Amino acid sequence: MSLLLSLSGVSSVSEAATELKLDLNLPAQSGEYHNPYVAVWIENERGQSVRTLVLWREGAKWLKDIRRWWRKVGRKDEAIVDAMTSATRPAGNYQLKFKALDDQLQPLKYGNYVLRIEIVRENGGRSMTMQPFTLNGENHQFTVAKSLEIAQSLFTIKE
Amino acid sequence: MKINKFALGAVALLLIGQASAHNRWILPSHFNLSNDKGEWVMADITASNETFNVDKPMGADKLEITAPNGKRVRVGSSYRGHRKSVVDIHLEDSGTYQLKMGGDASYWTSYQLKGDEKKHWLRGVNKLQRQGQLPKGAINAHTMESYANVLSYITLNTPSKGFKTTDKGLEFVPVTHPSDVAQGEQAQFKFIFNGQPQAGVSVEIVREGVRYRNDQNVLKLTSDKKGIINFTLAQAGRYLLMAEHQSDVKHNPQADTVGGQIFLTFEAVLD
Repeated sequence: MSLLLSLSGVSSVSEAATELKLDLNLPAQSGEYHNPYVAVWIENERGQSVRTLVLWREGAKWLKDIRRWWRKVGRKDEAIVDAMTSATRPAGNYQLKFKALDDQLQPLKYGNYVLRIEIVRENGGRSMTMQPFTLNGENHQFTVAKSLEIAQSLFTIKE
Repeated sequence: MKINKFALGAVALLLIGQASAHNRWILPSHFNLSNDKGEWVMADITASNETFNVDKPMGADKLEITAPNGKRVRVGSSYRGHRKSVVDIHLEDSGTYQLKMGGDASYWTSYQLKGDEKKHWLRGVNKLQRQGQLPKGAINAHTMESYANVLSYITLNTPSKGFKTTDKGLEFVPVTHPSDVAQGEQAQFKFIFNGQPQAGVSVEIVREGVRYRNDQNVLKLTSDKKGIINFTLAQAGRYLLMAEHQSDVKHNPQADTVGGQIFLTFEAVLD
């Protein structure tokens, strides 16, 4: 680490001030509608979760339906589940802001990551969205394409 | 001695390569659950070559359910029908439950009579017992010790490991946890024979729904010298894994050959 620092001359650790903004659009759906379960998290290049950002859910019985997040994150870390508990929300636009920190609240290091957004609706569909991004001290903005359970959304990295 | 064809167990039949064998499987209603209050699951038990449509009755009396803490779990209730048995199981603790049938040795002695190509069978007769039971003039007597394990794993919340092996016959050892097989991700399973990693185990993996497609799309694998198979399933769904191995034994007074079969039901989760 110190070698890297001296060679590159810049901090290899993302500044604590780095801000992640997710402009999340949950589309209106026709027919019977239950609020979707939503998990948003960040995985490193090896597919390991480093930070859960959002968990909108109902009782524990339905956590398993958020398939990937439950398998990779939730079922192995009760503390995260307890810490993140938040009620489900209806279709609409949600402006969410986070610091670029890991689950231990340490700044995320510079590097490549994947933002994952998993949305599952009872009697509805599922969307598993992947948005790769790089933390390198620069601003970035990504348009997240729509699919079954997500309308076009926006992901912004602001240094 | 005449043996009724239907009295022969599926195990021996498959091992000796006859066509009328039936696969056997346990199909739980859920493989992965989340709950802070425990959960109920149900499981179907049947002998059927159609994955996963039930066919012939198979009793659930010998089903052994092992809780994450290693203790035996009793079924809540059960029903035996003409096509399947059904059991109700309460999962109390977080962790992985093992559902298992079989594992006990069964013995099959075959022989021929001079001038007759046909193989005759003595069921439940081992090598030590056969001398007294073979008819006069019997030739080519051969005894097989056979183990079959019909398996499935159900995980409530956090997966757990540490399933005991008996070190007898062919056994399944998870490398990738059975609850962690996912669409598009490489998985690894291991097979041991009499407690040792076994190379050359024949494995077949079939996805559910064979009734509704022309090609069964069987994935055929053979274990490497460490007893390992590697595979990646492109589609999420429920799968039946069948593994088979037999080898001649020298120092077993009860048999000439030891054979084993595994029927493992698992799901590849949606990524």
